Amino acid sequence: MGLGAKRLLLNLLAGIAVVTTVAVIGIGLPAINDAIPAARPAPAGRYSVGAGVSIVPPPGAGLDATKTRPGPLNGTALFVLGSVRYAVVVTPFDGTLAQAAERLRAKISANAGYQVIGGKRPIRTTSGVLGQEGAYSSPGRDGRYAVFLANGLDAEVTVAGNGVELHDVMPVVQASIMTLSFGKEPQ
Amino acid sequence: MTSERSAASAPVQPTPVGARQRYSFELPAFWLLVGLLAVGAWQLGKVFGAAFQQFPMASAVAAVLFGLYAVPFVIFARSVDFLEKEPAALVATAAAWGGLVATTTAIAGNGAVRDLLAKEVSPAFATTWGPAIAAPFIEEILKTLGVVIVVLIARRQINSVLDGAVYGAFVGLGFQVVEDFIYAVNAVGIAGRGDQAGPVIVTFFLRGFLAGLWSHTLFSALAGAGVAYFVVRRNRSRSRRLTVAILAVAGAMAFHFIWNSPLLADGFGYGAWGILLALLIKGIPALLLIYLLVRAARGQEADFYLGELAALADPNIATPRELAVLRTGSKRMAARRYAYARCGRPGRTAVRDLQRAQAKLAVDISRGGENYEACRNQVLAVRAKLIAFGHPDATTPPGHRRNPWGVVIGVATAAVVAILVAVAINALGGR
Repeated sequence: MGLGAKRLLLNLLAGIAVVTTVAVIGIGLPAINDAIPAARPAPAGRYSVGAGVSIVPPPGAGLDATKTRPGPLNGTALFVLGSVRYAVVVTPFDGTLAQAAERLRAKISANAGYQVIGGKRPIRTTSGVLGQEGAYSSPGRDGRYAVFLANGLDAEVTVAGNGVELHDVMPVVQASIMTLSFGKEPQ
Repeated sequence: MTSERSAASAPVQPTPVGARQRYSFELPAFWLLVGLLAVGAWQLGKVFGAAFQQFPMASAVAAVLFGLYAVPFVIFARSVDFLEKEPAALVATAAAWGGLVATTTAIAGNGAVRDLLAKEVSPAFATTWGPAIAAPFIEEILKTLGVVIVVLIARRQINSVLDGAVYGAFVGLGFQVVEDFIYAVNAVGIAGRGDQAGPVIVTFFLRGFLAGLWSHTLFSALAGAGVAYFVVRRNRSRSRRLTVAILAVAGAMAFHFIWNSPLLADGFGYGAWGILLALLIKGIPALLLIYLLVRAARGQEADFYLGELAALADPNIATPRELAVLRTGSKRMAARRYAYARCGRPGRTAVRDLQRAQAKLAVDISRGGENYEACRNQVLAVRAKLIAFGHPDATTPPGHRRNPWGVVIGVATAAVVAILVAVAINALGGR
């Protein structure tokens, strides 16, 4: 093999090594990640969503570890019950409850095919925090939403699933939403 | 005229006679690079398209701000690289790798690693330590591959450790600009107030000014310098060169880890100013180390190329004082200002042209003097202009010292930036 051909071969092999490394990172790692289930049993007792906000998950709920991100100033938790997705998102917010509720409704409506339906109703947690709740529809699924405001934090709750399954789990989910707390709770 | 100085032991290995840009097209690695750039451009196009569709005004502001943000970095990097400028096409390739390939691949890789940490350890651990574990490993490998690919397609253009640092810096710059755009648009979405430019501007101050000073550009410059050491210093053993290269990449990962880690995240409990202090503590060591490295590498390169001019011993080509001026950007600018003071704009232009012609001649000599006569004549032509202006020596003024007002202005600017960044930190809730 001539020197030129040898150099070309080495160049090709090195280039393939670069491409392979990129592929391992960009395709291989995500594939490994996808092969490992995300849902874990939700911890027993009160679960800290973030920024001091906590909630008691419904009995038997799983926790999607990849969509759950607790933090000191904000947080997200995603619980799963069968095909029902129950999300709690906590962020800093300096507006009113009405503005927070309108923001959540706007976020829901911004998704293609999603529509807020019915009116809004006041709701209060067992610790006395006032909020608003309502319903929405999406392609093939129904949804409920609730929003609470306290201590400069906005807790947005959304629950979505197919009609029958959502109807079946909604009582335990509603009970869980009522346990939402913006501070320390006695255990 | 041929160079007698390009021995295998020299820290600078000039591009050999006959090296041509078109030879890169014959290399398989070049076409693999084209493929990767195309895939990266397609992926990034989807991201940009979604951003502009959802937040057109904020996305446009982000594109303009972070595009302009790159300009001073480019000017500075090209100034550091003054004596032997890297080909614009290769520099653009390095930046394109950073912006198109490294970012889009890192998005997928980082997300996967953080998800794996959340699943295998806990979501809280992934939130706190995920950015410090995923990004340094994933991103520094991807960015270093950008310098590697430049070596594969144009090995003969990597002439010194400084060249590797320059290519690494441009890979990092491309990565930084695109990443910052994505962060800015994400901030708009998180704010939940529609298509507003406010979160973009806050992100610009935080990530552009504060993080930009000691972030991807610096980390990749360090890694790139290591790659270039492996390529250029062939008088050293392979194991030593490999060790240095690995240590350089590991160093980049370590600095990135420190920057992303939650250490000192609470700012000692003193709010925005405490957070600003913590960021300075985390970033300054990397800035200092890499500044010293680049300064040493630039000095080695200057010794080599200015030595070519000194060997001519021709004051019409370059006087000893002019050789001293050519070493640093600040002295070159001081010489141009002195010429402007004495001869106005034509004098400043002539000094600039002389400096460029001298650098071009030095590089040509190192590469075997293919265009020696033309380069020499160019220097002599500008020299004649300077003599006609009554400013024959393109140096700094007698007794020249660093301008103290420059330091004052620099400190004042840094203070203003620090205040703006502290305000930005507050606006983002202290994070």
